[in-house]
Amino acid sequence: MQTTLSNSVLNSRRSFLKKMATAAAMTAAATMFPGIMFAEEQEKNLPKGGNLDWKKGPCRFCGVGCGILVGVENGKAVAVKGDPNSSVNKGLLCVKGYHQTMCIQSSDRLTHALVKKNGKYVKTPINEALDLVASKMKSTIEEHGKDSVAMYTSGQSTIPEGYVASKLMKGAIGTNNLDCNARLCMASAVAGFLTTFGADEPMGCYEDIDYADYFITWGNNMAEMHPVLFSRMLEQKNRRGAKIIDFATRTTRSSTASDKSILFEPQTDLAVANAICYEIINNGWVNNSFVEKHCNFSKGLTNIGYGTEDKFSFTDKPEKIDFESFKKFLEDYTPEKVAKYSRVSVKDIKYLANIYGDPNKKVVSYWCMGMNQHTRGTWMNNLMYNIHLLTGKISQPGNGPFSLTGQPSACGTAREVGTFTHKLPKGVVMNPAHRELAAKIWKVPVERIPSKPTYHATEMFRAVDRGDIKFIWTQVVNPLVSLPKTSRFRPGMEKESCFVVVSDVFPTPTSDVADVILPASWHIEKSGLYGNSERRTQHWDKMVEGPGETTPDAWMTIEVAKRMGYGDLFPYSEDNHVEEIYNEYRQFHEGKKHGMAPLEVLKKESGAIWPYVDGKSTQWRFNSKYDPACKEDTDFDFYGKPDGKAVIWQRPYEPAAESPDNEYPFWLNTGRVIEHWHTGSMTRRIPVLHKAMPHAYVEFHPEDAKALGIRNGVNIKVSSRRGSCVLPASINERGLPTKGQVFVPFFDENMLINDVTLDAFCPISKEPDYKKCAVKVEKA
Amino acid sequence: MKKRLGIISLFVILFIAFITIWNFSYQTGLEEAYIPLEYSSESISVIPSESGVFKRSKFALDYGNMPVDANHERSLNSYYDNRAYHGAPPSIPHVVNEAQNMGGKACLKCHENGGFVQKFNAYAPVSPHPELVNCKQCHVEQNTQSLFKPGVYAAVNAPKAGINKALLSSPPVIPHQIQLHENCLACHAGPSAPKEIRVSHPERVNCRQCHVLNNKEMTDIGTFKRANNDVQ
Repeated sequence: MQTTLSNSVLNSRRSFLKKMATAAAMTAAATMFPGIMFAEEQEKNLPKGGNLDWKKGPCRFCGVGCGILVGVENGKAVAVKGDPNSSVNKGLLCVKGYHQTMCIQSSDRLTHALVKKNGKYVKTPINEALDLVASKMKSTIEEHGKDSVAMYTSGQSTIPEGYVASKLMKGAIGTNNLDCNARLCMASAVAGFLTTFGADEPMGCYEDIDYADYFITWGNNMAEMHPVLFSRMLEQKNRRGAKIIDFATRTTRSSTASDKSILFEPQTDLAVANAICYEIINNGWVNNSFVEKHCNFSKGLTNIGYGTEDKFSFTDKPEKIDFESFKKFLEDYTPEKVAKYSRVSVKDIKYLANIYGDPNKKVVSYWCMGMNQHTRGTWMNNLMYNIHLLTGKISQPGNGPFSLTGQPSACGTAREVGTFTHKLPKGVVMNPAHRELAAKIWKVPVERIPSKPTYHATEMFRAVDRGDIKFIWTQVVNPLVSLPKTSRFRPGMEKESCFVVVSDVFPTPTSDVADVILPASWHIEKSGLYGNSERRTQHWDKMVEGPGETTPDAWMTIEVAKRMGYGDLFPYSEDNHVEEIYNEYRQFHEGKKHGMAPLEVLKKESGAIWPYVDGKSTQWRFNSKYDPACKEDTDFDFYGKPDGKAVIWQRPYEPAAESPDNEYPFWLNTGRVIEHWHTGSMTRRIPVLHKAMPHAYVEFHPEDAKALGIRNGVNIKVSSRRGSCVLPASINERGLPTKGQVFVPFFDENMLINDVTLDAFCPISKEPDYKKCAVKVEKA
Repeated sequence: MKKRLGIISLFVILFIAFITIWNFSYQTGLEEAYIPLEYSSESISVIPSESGVFKRSKFALDYGNMPVDANHERSLNSYYDNRAYHGAPPSIPHVVNEAQNMGGKACLKCHENGGFVQKFNAYAPVSPHPELVNCKQCHVEQNTQSLFKPGVYAAVNAPKAGINKALLSSPPVIPHQIQLHENCLACHAGPSAPKEIRVSHPERVNCRQCHVLNNKEMTDIGTFKRANNDVQ
């Protein structure tokens, strides 16, 4: 089986010969080594599988929503592999996914309820702890009113967990004091979808990857944050020659794997997106028939503020405009003008515009936190849609804007069940019809559901600090690591004025300030449903028993509700509550626009995409070829808006809330690494991942480091006007921030970078900007 | 008189102009020929430790479509045989013409892309760092089997293949340092890769999506410890 694959002679026949030889050799190899090319020696030392029972579910970690199979032996989870039947990951996972179940055995697992007595945590039977939580919640309401109690949940809560939390707070108690950590990651995406299309969540699906010619990632390090999708992109790159273009403020693993990396100055993505629109219009690349038939133009208020002050409020005032005034507005955003402050060359702006403008190229844009955690996050999402709407590249296989999520059920639970202060399982609390539907399904009087939203995440913890909230219950969430400006909120939560209940699997800095700690079941120790970024709902059955008195979060909520006297609203059984709740919840979304797949289907298949109509997933919404909810006589129908037309928004560039100055001369950017997920409470307890990434670091551009005399590993104090944090310097390791910028991953509870960040947020979505604030650095 | 004054002043102006221009060109001539180097604001655009994973030589083998040539495989033992210890630069196991010495690309002719070498009846191993061309700085021939003085060297146990998995089904961790060999496929794919460590899926290229270092810190750091241990 010698081949001619050496490179000694290069001529025109070489590649042909090579292909012939390879094909012949492959056929031969395949017969000799069917399906596998491992040497025998590799397998020799492996433990044998024995009688593993493989159980299906979605991965616990990110929003990609890979299908996993967990190998269970004698009631213990001993192996994880990718689900080959899942169209999301086709059998592949990332390093976190492969090792996820290892965290369960951590020695500091919370196995029993703990109640703080005289400054010490005392092991307490779970029933007593739940009695205490219920009585405390009840007495607080009696004493201080409904709006003095709050619940803060998660984009990692399962659909039933989110649903019962919403039903308890909004339907039973009658307060909108419910928000979730998805506010910190997806709110701008939601506001972007609602303002542009009137309907939340992406129109396309992951299958777009198989058709696109170009992937343009906006401030999004997919190689580390959405690794399985990135591996699918790389596959298309190598197989079909699809191109990946990385547009970011930091050179990352994704940049080095991309065909082209374009760097920009933080916050100027707004201007570059407008410059791309300018080029598209100026060069006549607008898809005129699409825009005329399917788009309106609007503008909103400008100079909208940054929300850094308590009780900040803002309401946008949309105003219709015409194409001509939109065109005129864009004259401020010629590539030449924008190049001056974005640090993106005119050539690169035109290059990007050219790709979007070429009618023969299919383009998918991907983004996640870079665009969402942005003080103009909603605008930035709108601008992204402008580009795709102007060129008509949307809702078709391989063409479309795709907003990725960070959490496994940010879509399924936070957005679809609606665990935000303004949301209901269908629609918003401000809308009387939506309140009526909720009241009907929940069987509560409609007057009980308040019509006014209260606290979004940041404001909720400000209210705790002010003393307005006297009782807070957090579930599946670690706000004292993940909120911006934790330097204010940690002392806030420590105050006597607020009774803090924390449900979690492991102790965290948040449980450190709790009055009651409730031991939660982990992922595979309970049944549940998650919904991923491509609108795919996935179900799993309980696979192993949890230790001690660990209890599913949904059941703890139900138990507290019962103890508060709302038992008739929560008639679910302990063994089967997940199914009962899902079947009740499905009623909210009945219809062609958002129908959810029935449980029998989800149990059998590796998830189904909603709208699930007549036994079929709808992969591309708003396109009448694929979406049965569209009006019949049209090609596209953006039915989220009453007139079926999407909105192209006029949104200007506005500076960041805080920019570097003489005193604080560096941008601080924060984010994640591939090894750790969110605040690291799970992944750091997985030895493989901890050893690969033991602690956080502050990343410098080598020239900045040289100028400051900083070497790799030296301890650096990063400080802002809010607080400081000491971390070892990292130069030329994982990533490379642009000059004048430092980057810190936020997973490390022993190095809390969020003490330093700023709690400025997008006034429309209320999502904080973790990517931009001003800091100074000095050797510690 | 007026006319003469005009002519004189014209000559005076011309003279002054001549002096100025001559002076300027003389001064310019004194400066050394110098073309300012333009540094772009982003003079460093790659991250050495990361981009290596994706780096391939121009005519790199199509690892995803390589056959297995069982007759000419290397084994892990023979791989370690020409290294003084685990992680040491391998010695050169064949004669090298002294004329092919420093800085050239003589070694890279075989070791950049790999391929079968009739003379040695073997596949040439691929260099993970073809940008470093002063090869013999680290790699030397072994020209004698005898020793100047025998010594007792501490044995280093090289990591074994196939035992680096945390779970039954999980991808093995990277049990060695990757400095200077960030390009995984150079050693783990293609016909020159030792059979025990040849990857079954070289087409996936983003190796570190699933395989992570188990020794980022030089010493064992144990499991994760919280700063606050009030609970339990």
